Amino acid sequence: MHDISLDIADGEFVCVLGASGCGKSTLFNAVSGLLKVDSGSIRLEDEDVVGKPGRVGYMLQKDLLLPWRTALGNIVLGASLTRGANASDRAKAVELATHYGLGGYLNHYPRALSGGMRQRVALMRTIVAGRELMLLDEPFAALDSLTRFTMQRWLLQVWTEMKRTIMFVTHDIDEALFLADRVVVMLPNPGRIGRILHVNLERPREVACMASPAFMQLKAEALRLLYESP
Amino acid sequence: MNHHKTRHPIVAQIFFWLLAMLLILFVWQAAIVVFRIPHFVMPAPAAVIDMLFGNGPMILKLMWQTLKETLSGYVIGAAVGFVLAVGMSQIPLMGRLVYPALVTSQAVPIVGIAAPLVIIFGFGMTPKLIIVAWIVFFPVVVNVMDGLAQVDPDQINLARLLGGTPLRTFLIVKLPACLGPLFSGLKIGASYAVTGAVIGEWTASSRMGLGTYLLSANAQMNTTGVYAAMMLMTLIGVGSFVSLLMIEYLATPWRHRATSK
Repeated sequence: MHDISLDIADGEFVCVLGASGCGKSTLFNAVSGLLKVDSGSIRLEDEDVVGKPGRVGYMLQKDLLLPWRTALGNIVLGASLTRGANASDRAKAVELATHYGLGGYLNHYPRALSGGMRQRVALMRTIVAGRELMLLDEPFAALDSLTRFTMQRWLLQVWTEMKRTIMFVTHDIDEALFLADRVVVMLPNPGRIGRILHVNLERPREVACMASPAFMQLKAEALRLLYESP
Repeated sequence: MNHHKTRHPIVAQIFFWLLAMLLILFVWQAAIVVFRIPHFVMPAPAAVIDMLFGNGPMILKLMWQTLKETLSGYVIGAAVGFVLAVGMSQIPLMGRLVYPALVTSQAVPIVGIAAPLVIIFGFGMTPKLIIVAWIVFFPVVVNVMDGLAQVDPDQINLARLLGGTPLRTFLIVKLPACLGPLFSGLKIGASYAVTGAVIGEWTASSRMGLGTYLLSANAQMNTTGVYAAMMLMTLIGVGSFVSLLMIEYLATPWRHRATSK
């Protein structure tokens, strides 16, 4: 990776778009603190977070739900792992999950849930952990396209209401443009930022916006960057 | 879902176990009749069961002795195996050093271990417990170590990102992940454990158990007695195995239930 510089504002939704091998996941692991970078700095609200895991929320394509915990048990996992989940943690989690349509599934083991439901539980777990910045690494890539679209709209609703900052990795151009305020197009060899596209589409975004001229123009721009860059 | 005919899966499982046991007895009885095997070579299962009930109190005392040795040794072996596995996976250097020694311990013939143990610990319980534990701990160590090594690294990373303490991460994420392998090890151990107790009794014993009884019945040409002892030893092994199946079922509800209670 080479010369990556990116500022993300509070409450912003940024998508990182790129083909495999352009360093998206490396960038993510560095920001999460799992991977130590040799040079440069990563600051979260003026605090250096290089090599310090536990400052940001994190969600992957794999839901990583623990099969032996119910949906609720998985949502409060953060509290369980740090100090033990108490009644108030559970009550808050139940309230939040019920608001986002998981109320009827809280007692289910992950094995009994569909792929989309499992990702919702995983996102709730990330939100309940309470970090300001959430890193989502292709969280919907394993879902079928209809479920994925439902999940994207659901994610936008959660993001709007919870007012968190999201950094979202994807290799799906439509997904990136539909979700983000800004799309960071990354290019490979060496991993670098090609350009940053500002997505000035009106919010809340509806399905129709994906067929609008503004959307098409942005998509053409992204395609040109991805496939025609030297 | 129709509930009116749903039988508890455990009930179905026990039904098949009983059926299999009856089938074995049936084949045994049939072989005696078909091949006209004389009673002093191999008694009919009916005769053996008859003999067991005819000598109830004595038989129960023998069985209790062997059961005691088997179960105590089993618990010790399983606990030692589990603690070793956890220790060895937490401290890799210790693991690499101790693992070859553990494998070596299993290469020594168990009959060969029995004699020195009797010399050191005498005719009482201790050598039997050690022999049983010696047999049982190995499948537990190997399986639990494999289980701990196979926990998804992303799962561990997630626990780190959620700020998990090492102890809580171990208890909540790693330990339940190796329950399956743990029970595999425990089940393998359960079917071997009784062999250890019998070998211990054969080497030297101050108290009669099924093993010592089998030796003396054999010396007296009491074929029915030999088979009676054998049948009960088998019963201990099979009984331990089935008990473990049930404990495993109860300990891992997420495998067979959609929701928690």
